[in-house]
Amino acid sequence: MENFAMLFAGFQTVLDPVNIGACMLGAILGLVVGAMPGIGSLAGVALLLPLTYKFNPTTAIIMLGALYYSNMYGGSFSAILLNIPGDTPAITTALDGYPMAKKGRPGQALVAANLSSFIGGTIGILILTITASGLAQVGLMFGYAEMTVVLLIAMTSISWLIGENPIKGIVITMLGILVASIGMDTLSGVPRYDFGNIYLLGGITFTPFVIGCVGFAQVIKLVNERKADEEKRHSEEQKVKLSIRGSLLKGHDFRRILPPILRSGVLGTFVGVLPGSGATTGSMVGYAMQKKFKSEEPMGTGAIEGIAASEAGNNAAAAGAFAPLLALGIPGSGTGAVLLGGLMMWGLNPGPLLFDTNPEFCWSLISSLYLANVFTLLVAILIIPVLINILSVPVKYMIPIITCVCIVGAYSTSYSMYGVVIMFISGIIGYLLEKNGFPTAPMLLAFVLAPMLEENMRKAFIASQGKLGIFVNSPLKLVLLAIFLVLVLTPVVKSILRKVKGSNTKAAV
Amino acid sequence: MNMKKKLLSLSLAAMMTVSLAACGGASDINENGEFNPTKNITWICTSSAGGGSDLFTRKLSEIMTNEKLVNDQTIVVSNETDGAGEVGRNKIATMKSGADYNLLTFNSGDLMPMVDNTKNRAENFRILAIMAVDKQLLFTSETAAEHKTDYAKAGGDLTDFGAAIEAAKNGTYVVIGGSKGDDIATYNALLEELGLTQDQMGYITYDSTGDAITAALGGNLDFVISKPAAASQYVESGDLTPTLALSTERFTGNLADAPTLSEIGDYENVEKPVWRGVAAPAAMSDEAATYWSNVLGQCAESEAWKEYLELNQLIDEYKATEEATQYVADFQADYLASKEG
Repeated sequence: MENFAMLFAGFQTVLDPVNIGACMLGAILGLVVGAMPGIGSLAGVALLLPLTYKFNPTTAIIMLGALYYSNMYGGSFSAILLNIPGDTPAITTALDGYPMAKKGRPGQALVAANLSSFIGGTIGILILTITASGLAQVGLMFGYAEMTVVLLIAMTSISWLIGENPIKGIVITMLGILVASIGMDTLSGVPRYDFGNIYLLGGITFTPFVIGCVGFAQVIKLVNERKADEEKRHSEEQKVKLSIRGSLLKGHDFRRILPPILRSGVLGTFVGVLPGSGATTGSMVGYAMQKKFKSEEPMGTGAIEGIAASEAGNNAAAAGAFAPLLALGIPGSGTGAVLLGGLMMWGLNPGPLLFDTNPEFCWSLISSLYLANVFTLLVAILIIPVLINILSVPVKYMIPIITCVCIVGAYSTSYSMYGVVIMFISGIIGYLLEKNGFPTAPMLLAFVLAPMLEENMRKAFIASQGKLGIFVNSPLKLVLLAIFLVLVLTPVVKSILRKVKGSNTKAAV
Repeated sequence: MNMKKKLLSLSLAAMMTVSLAACGGASDINENGEFNPTKNITWICTSSAGGGSDLFTRKLSEIMTNEKLVNDQTIVVSNETDGAGEVGRNKIATMKSGADYNLLTFNSGDLMPMVDNTKNRAENFRILAIMAVDKQLLFTSETAAEHKTDYAKAGGDLTDFGAAIEAAKNGTYVVIGGSKGDDIATYNALLEELGLTQDQMGYITYDSTGDAITAALGGNLDFVISKPAAASQYVESGDLTPTLALSTERFTGNLADAPTLSEIGDYENVEKPVWRGVAAPAAMSDEAATYWSNVLGQCAESEAWKEYLELNQLIDEYKATEEATQYVADFQADYLASKEG
């Protein structure tokens, strides 16, 4: 209860006109920044940070918090409309969002995404409010061995994306792991596959890689497969359906998305708390879990449940990531690290004492998340009718526009042409792969998860001097391992059972 | 069409004249041979925005601007992180034109990977100043809810590093964590002094000290290497206990309880100072180098800088260009020698 009293005190601070203004500004900027591919929350917060040095710390963190937060909404726009994830947490949103938009339901896809973000985020913030510092302790319980198993669980989601040809799926997953291993080995500092090129010492940057594989590959496909008359028909078809009323969710749709939102909301919050895993892991785990539940349409073909699971997961994780940041001074993600730098710049000492020494600051931040959440939802819903018109733009105009967006996004990750080069190369490779029946989604997931898995597993082995026992010596690890084994073995056991049954019935006949 | 072409060539010519005038650097060095900037200054920081190096860079540029030390020119901080920072460093090392207007934040943590992975050496830069020095300590987390390491499980005393050394010698594995770069070098020096191998006392590398402290708080490490600033809050809250000063003398304040290595056994003290400095292209003119060294000296004297040092618990150790160059050269030689050894 004490937490809620503090929260209300926080609201009083936030409802100061200056702070409301800062919150709104942050929310709108976050939405815009999130919608632009390449410029994720990390770049957004980093760019705005110097501007906020003149503010008082509470106003500054309210603005940056709102920006970070609303960013998770914006990422879904380009993912659904253009199949270019606005930022990395939206990769899984694109998997179902874009097919759904293609089916003529772009408005509903966007509304579903934003509503899921809102509810998922609210769940995250509520959990954050109630448990605050307790939540951070949960994160600490996860050592390398636990994280290794969590990541193995997350990796099982790759198998669902592999598609019809398992061999091709495995090949592409391996390719993702191989590309991810380029650059400096984080544990020993030894360069891998750099071929004497100093750019490659830093590895393949993720954002340009994704923009290329997904976005630019799309452009090449459009150029190659464009047929003028088809295009015309297509755009006419679209026009009919793109109305505001058509964007509203029907009761049936709402009932479809609610369970995945609730599941992903809770799960995402905890994923956000875990060390080193941010919103991206949140949406991936949420999406992977949804695969285990029934969806009305198969996942990956435009199932609204997939959008909901992914978007609720990333917003909840974004909220969860604030727990270790505020309670322990531990950034849960790259963006968290930048926020932490900001805290120090404002003269605050982030760490275990922050809640005690600067309660006003902490609680204002948490209450501003509520405000930012409501505000972003309103803005997002209002601009959806405008945004869906993008889809009725003829392909011949879309090609140069998307190309520009891809270039700008790739450039802005490190403000250099290196990103653009990566984007073009991975775009061409992505197109060729897709054309030959290799799905690119497993490659992207492997690219994100494999380095984290490698790092945690190697740390576990260093800590235990190479003993496998470190993965089974506590109840938490055993439970996680059991979940992993159930996930992996269920299909195997099922197929064996089916065979046994089959032979039994044959024998009976 | 012809008209257009003419216009185009005319405007091109105009642009070239303007840019030539801007590059005609003669005007920024006066008859007394003194440099005074007449253009914007670019300051490359090879770490991402918001981190320690970035704050260091922005603080210095802010002081230069506020104290009107740079002739009212704008300083643009540019975070160039490609190739783990090597691209930005190489750009400065090989820069020929505009060398007087480019600065680089250059730390010990930048030098070591650079020397390891590229052909660039400290000599390829002009070292303008060392602005601050930092030292490290070993900390431990007694209060972790669950200790997961072999040493702690075997009942080892986490607050006594001397006991940990004995345990390691007798076959109990002790694990230390820290960030990449500076901390690894210190760990290696410590290991060498103790005569242990990494199979007796292992090291886990983290992306940042913050991550390493997180691991220690979770009971995943026996000891964590950190600079005072990053650990300060945790010491105050009782979550971390300082156990060994990696320094030739004890620290002060709430870190005073940690003994140095020579106090706990028959060892030499291990101290690997971590420095933060400013460099420039080797091609920078002598006049400009003198100018920048002076400006940095004035920054080091300013109140705002003293405040920054205090907030980050850095040791005030300004070294002007000559002394700094020697210092960095020695540091590099030491490092290369330790690599061979």
